[in-house]
Amino acid sequence: MFKHLFKMIWNKKKQNSLLIVEILLSFLVIFAVFTFGLNSYNNYAKPMGIDYQNVWAISYNNTLKTNNGDSLKLFYDNMVDNIKAMPKVIDAAHTSANIPFSTSHMSTGLTHNGDHIQDVNSFMVDENYPKTLNVKLLDGRWYNKTDVGSKQKVIVINNKLKERMFGKASAIGKLYNDDDGKKGVKIIGVLDDIKFNGDYQSLEYAIYNRIDTSSYRWLGKILVKVSPDANAAFESQLYKFMANNLKDSNIEIEHLTNKLTAYNKFTLVPLIILSIVAAFLIINVALGIFGVLWYNINKRRGEIGLRRAVGAPGSSVSAQLVSEAMILATLSLIVGAFFAVQFPLLNVFDLPASVYLLAMLLAVIFIYLLVLVCSLYPGKQASAILPAVALHEE
Amino acid sequence: MIKLQNIQKVYRTDTIETLALNGINLDVAKGEFLSIMGPSGCGKSTLLNIMGLLDEPSKGNISIAEQPTGKFNDKQLAKFRNQKLGFIFQSYHLIGDLQVIDNVELPLLYRDTTAKERRRLATEALEKVGLSNRIKHFPKQLSGGQRQRVAIARAIVGNPEIILADEPTGNLDSAMGNEIMEILLQLNRVDGTTIVMVTHDENMAQKTHRLVRLFDGSQVQ
Repeated sequence: MFKHLFKMIWNKKKQNSLLIVEILLSFLVIFAVFTFGLNSYNNYAKPMGIDYQNVWAISYNNTLKTNNGDSLKLFYDNMVDNIKAMPKVIDAAHTSANIPFSTSHMSTGLTHNGDHIQDVNSFMVDENYPKTLNVKLLDGRWYNKTDVGSKQKVIVINNKLKERMFGKASAIGKLYNDDDGKKGVKIIGVLDDIKFNGDYQSLEYAIYNRIDTSSYRWLGKILVKVSPDANAAFESQLYKFMANNLKDSNIEIEHLTNKLTAYNKFTLVPLIILSIVAAFLIINVALGIFGVLWYNINKRRGEIGLRRAVGAPGSSVSAQLVSEAMILATLSLIVGAFFAVQFPLLNVFDLPASVYLLAMLLAVIFIYLLVLVCSLYPGKQASAILPAVALHEE
Repeated sequence: MIKLQNIQKVYRTDTIETLALNGINLDVAKGEFLSIMGPSGCGKSTLLNIMGLLDEPSKGNISIAEQPTGKFNDKQLAKFRNQKLGFIFQSYHLIGDLQVIDNVELPLLYRDTTAKERRRLATEALEKVGLSNRIKHFPKQLSGGQRQRVAIARAIVGNPEIILADEPTGNLDSAMGNEIMEILLQLNRVDGTTIVMVTHDENMAQKTHRLVRLFDGSQVQ
């Protein structure tokens, strides 16, 4: 029977081609939605890497009149120490503007054993950074006083970068060349991965540079870990402290939880828009399949009547129409799978192959279910056709 | 072979009730070639459909091959039609998207038959009607007479005991009509197939064993 149905479909390929293309396009859109959704979920399921609750980010602009690095360092170190001394403050750290969940990015590149790695996030941080964000040190050590004035340029990298460069082997003590022309940068520590770009974005490569004296001219962020009972009154107190210390500076205090919510929207909004587009397309395809099958039944009443006359029970006629729709879906899915499988093969968008394959599987199941649901009712209607009436009409 | 008792068929719409058949009693013996004649709208095709279990009578009993069919469900009816009956229609009812051989195989698809066996039986049936050289053709590539011969091959491929033919020569010229009639007569004579044929053609009807005339849904001869 399968061969018979396939022959029928093949001999009507022109009439069926539109439906095949429609199902194919739906599959590709659904595949894109599932890929996007699954990748976002996979990222969401990974740990954030930091404790962002009760972490506030103070933004300021340097309005001090001096350009002397040592004076600036003294001033800002003293300011951070004073912040840390406040009653509801647990820790505080100076950092570059690219704090977690901010739209500010600073990237560089590096070369190791001939492997050039681009788009490595570069952070300027001080000794208090890991404690303030409660980020785990996986290997080696964080910066300390011995690194001040050292001729050897040292660096802390994140785990994703370490795995790219060294796989399972330890990175500690290894050297690489950075794109700024510094050769032999020595890795002293590996920090746990942090989802800087919110819950749904992929992990990225990162290096953590120690703030040096010259950096204070342009640094503009202080991360403050506060106790859970830190309230608006305390925030106001902190604001006044900053304003008093940095006259004429624009001070802003933001909560990382709020920044995370805002940043997540960057990912969720396109996903929602794509889902809405996909939903409309699915409705369109569902109506298309339903309409084509309905039209087929009316056009093929004579054939249905004949099949019933020569021995097909109603259930068999119904099963035939559903099977034809499923075979058409299969043809579309074979073509669709050919295109979809290129994504993991060519490593498009640098996503794990498992995400593409699972998205493909889910999209296939979804299309089959859609076609099945849309063909059941027309199939049932076909089974109810009285052979004598259908043959007489023909 | 076919026993109809007091068959009545009424078609009802919201406003009109039409009596298509009224009190038909008919026995068709095994191996008989019976023709049914009558003016248009007298109920010939309705009677044939009821004999072929394609339609249900409003009243009365049908028994085919000693089996009362009144309580058959859809699956049993389909199986019975498939194994005991063969149909030939005035407008052939061939599936245009299938080749001749596939059209002939159609009844065997609803039997437990292998593809190889189906192909063998269909080829044999086409040989019987003299169309073995047209198996790969599509219906639209054939003449009316050839199409009807394909329809006959389809009707006999499952070796049914009864063939029901609804004006099989109605769309054909007299030469082709005679050819088709010859095939039917041979099937009846050689294979002993019981045939019931509806026709408008007096000459064709005269070639059969018995003629039944209907008028306004009633049997008049």
